[in-house]
Amino acid sequence: MENLHVDALVLGGGIAGMQAALDLADQGFQVALLEREPSIGGKMITLSKVFPTLDCCSCITTPKMSAVAHHPNIHLLTYCEMQSVAETGSGFRLAVVQKPRYVDVNKCTGCRKCEYECPVTLPSPFDRGLGAYRAIRVPFSTAVPQTAVLDIENCILCGKCEKVCAAGAVDFTQRAETFEIQATTLVVASGFELTPLNAKKEYGGETLQNVIDPLMMERFLAPTGPYGRVLRPGDGKEPTSIAYVQCAGSRDQTLGVEYCSRVCCMYAIKQAMLISGALPMADITIYYMDIRTFGKGYEQFYQNAQAMGVEFVRGKVAAIREDDEQNPVVKVELTEEGRIIERTFDLVVLSLGMVPTAGADGILSLPLGEDKFIAIPAPNANPCETARPGIFVTGTAMGPMDIVDSIITAGSVASAASAYIREHQKETAYA
Amino acid sequence: MHELKEYGAVGIEKCFNCGNCTAICPLASDEYPFPRSVIRRIQVGQEDRLEQQLDPWLCYYCGDCSATCPKGAEPGETMMAARRWLTGRYDWTGLARKFYTSLAWEIGSILLVALAVVVIILFFHGPLVTERVELNTFAPIEIVHLADWIMAGTLLFFIATNVFRMYWLTVLKDRSLKIPLSLYVKEAWHLLFNAATQARWSTCASDEQDPIEKRRKRNAWLTHILLVSGYGLMFFIIVFMLPWFQTDNIYPVHNPQRWLGYYATGVLLYGTVRALWGRAKKEFQMHRFSHPSDWIFPILLLSVTLTGILQHTFRYLGWPLPTYYTYVVHLAVTAPMLILEVPFGKWAHLYYRPLAIYFEKVKASARKHALSTTEAFAPAD
Repeated sequence: MENLHVDALVLGGGIAGMQAALDLADQGFQVALLEREPSIGGKMITLSKVFPTLDCCSCITTPKMSAVAHHPNIHLLTYCEMQSVAETGSGFRLAVVQKPRYVDVNKCTGCRKCEYECPVTLPSPFDRGLGAYRAIRVPFSTAVPQTAVLDIENCILCGKCEKVCAAGAVDFTQRAETFEIQATTLVVASGFELTPLNAKKEYGGETLQNVIDPLMMERFLAPTGPYGRVLRPGDGKEPTSIAYVQCAGSRDQTLGVEYCSRVCCMYAIKQAMLISGALPMADITIYYMDIRTFGKGYEQFYQNAQAMGVEFVRGKVAAIREDDEQNPVVKVELTEEGRIIERTFDLVVLSLGMVPTAGADGILSLPLGEDKFIAIPAPNANPCETARPGIFVTGTAMGPMDIVDSIITAGSVASAASAYIREHQKETAYA
Repeated sequence: MHELKEYGAVGIEKCFNCGNCTAICPLASDEYPFPRSVIRRIQVGQEDRLEQQLDPWLCYYCGDCSATCPKGAEPGETMMAARRWLTGRYDWTGLARKFYTSLAWEIGSILLVALAVVVIILFFHGPLVTERVELNTFAPIEIVHLADWIMAGTLLFFIATNVFRMYWLTVLKDRSLKIPLSLYVKEAWHLLFNAATQARWSTCASDEQDPIEKRRKRNAWLTHILLVSGYGLMFFIIVFMLPWFQTDNIYPVHNPQRWLGYYATGVLLYGTVRALWGRAKKEFQMHRFSHPSDWIFPILLLSVTLTGILQHTFRYLGWPLPTYYTYVVHLAVTAPMLILEVPFGKWAHLYYRPLAIYFEKVKASARKHALSTTEAFAPAD
């Protein structure tokens, strides 16, 4: 790999990182976008629809992914990990590892022949383990780059892929390569993870078969999903009653996540609406402590869901157990009536919260806030500036936020970074 | 709310009424949706309604609510504080209130009663026989027994009046309910049954899924029931059979006088040490906050047990003076424990708890009775 010299380096290829890279590149800056997965797209590309407009997620994300890949000012670096960072007089110098794909990216055409031949089947993380893929595969249908990647850990080295590849792209001899990037400024867009499904033992840990996380439900609902319809993972039955447990990963001191994750109310409402479309006869109940629909058009969205017959019940679910047929049974106090009930559902979705993706902050030695997200010293005046000059932050690396806000902060970070680059390059030119 | 804080409540204001505590509670029911019903009453300042509630007595502080509370609002400790507050409310003398809210009052009164006992013995004791142990010459059994009965009568008076106040507040004040006398008789077995077995407490454990937690809860119940059995036995022996128990005759080991006494002493020792150890180590949820009253009762009980053991040892060793002195100390600890704790302190839960269950059962069957006789719905609240 050749060493790179760019104006801005964006860390993370989710929606916020992609948007920030595009906004900077459109202004004429040279941008490198670093992604540790084999494809960009982040969490958003796995989603079904966005709230509150119910637009198709793929239809918004895929063009952006494509634009990033084809932009003349963007160097897209996928399957790369940042190793270390050093401050130079004129910016930052990063050591980056290109992980081996065992496929030559310049030769691979994404024809997927290798994938069809590969005998090893694995649960696909893109489908949250609900669907399967092969040991060698294009990560998902709209992946960017459309290049195969070989999972050497699970490969049985049968060599079928190598034989079938017309382009001769499969290369078992590839090794990790380290290279250097110099950048005037860094933009952290490292994103979020869901709080763990097994965090609360009252909710059965991960042992209950028909208790799922919201990203799994997104895969059930997405047109690109593994089944193309909603079913429950335990036995493949079509659920007729579904419960959402709100604040299952947020606003809970026992989990160490005391903040509100801001998206769970809205995605639960959105999924409830989509399920109503997919399974018109299903009863959907949302158990909540407070419904927080603060964004533009969100309250109307909530009222629409109520009008559609989605049942909203105030009460924090205290425990979930399983009956003999693996149906989850929720126990909750109906706080508006003062009654305690146990109710059986076919499927329960835990509305998990957001925690920051670990890693980037450590290497960049960025101070964290109380919530473990990257600290922002002046959130009102300079919302995208971290405590280290020249390093900016955007999207859910800043704190929990939805897609709308992620895109807004991406524009904001691009603006802040561009001002910094101009100012800094002027200084070094005079010096 | 501020008043409850004086009784040891913490974090009530953090509660946002999500209902987690009530739903996780193995004992809460639609009729008694605690802890939230209690917390809510405190938050909105409905003192009069709170003092009519039986709910706090129906909780045994397994700690599940506090452990899973998303806000750390400590519902379990609030229930504990509500029990202390209710003890203060039921007591018409106002002493319980003083003892719970002021450590100086509590310690001061203990010392005062202990001193009074010492002074009384100092003036009225019999001759000290130093050739051999003659405890009954030093403290003639008739007088001690008489004092015993006087004390028991006084305590009974306070207990009866306080219990009546409890009955008046929690049952009689509820005008919507007409309770036929027959129901009191019919449900009376609950009173005795629960006092003897604390069966309701054991349901905390039987509902538990996690085997480790289940064992912990079962052990807590078992330790307590052992303690109560020892306490009850000792109490019975001392109040009704003191001449048999406090004697200068030395019975053989297989005589019930010996082994009953040893059993009671043994479980009292185990129970109190376990309780204090748990509190000191903050072993379980319920131990994380300790009000002074939570310490003083087991400490007094342990002191009574230890001085009893010492005195017994000296007597059997045949050392007259140490026997007499430890006897005085033993009485000086026993008296405050009984006089102060029984009607005005933590000890009072011994009758309030089974009574609360009894009243609850009576009210429930009265409601059922009203429904079946008039076919009309009588609102519970």
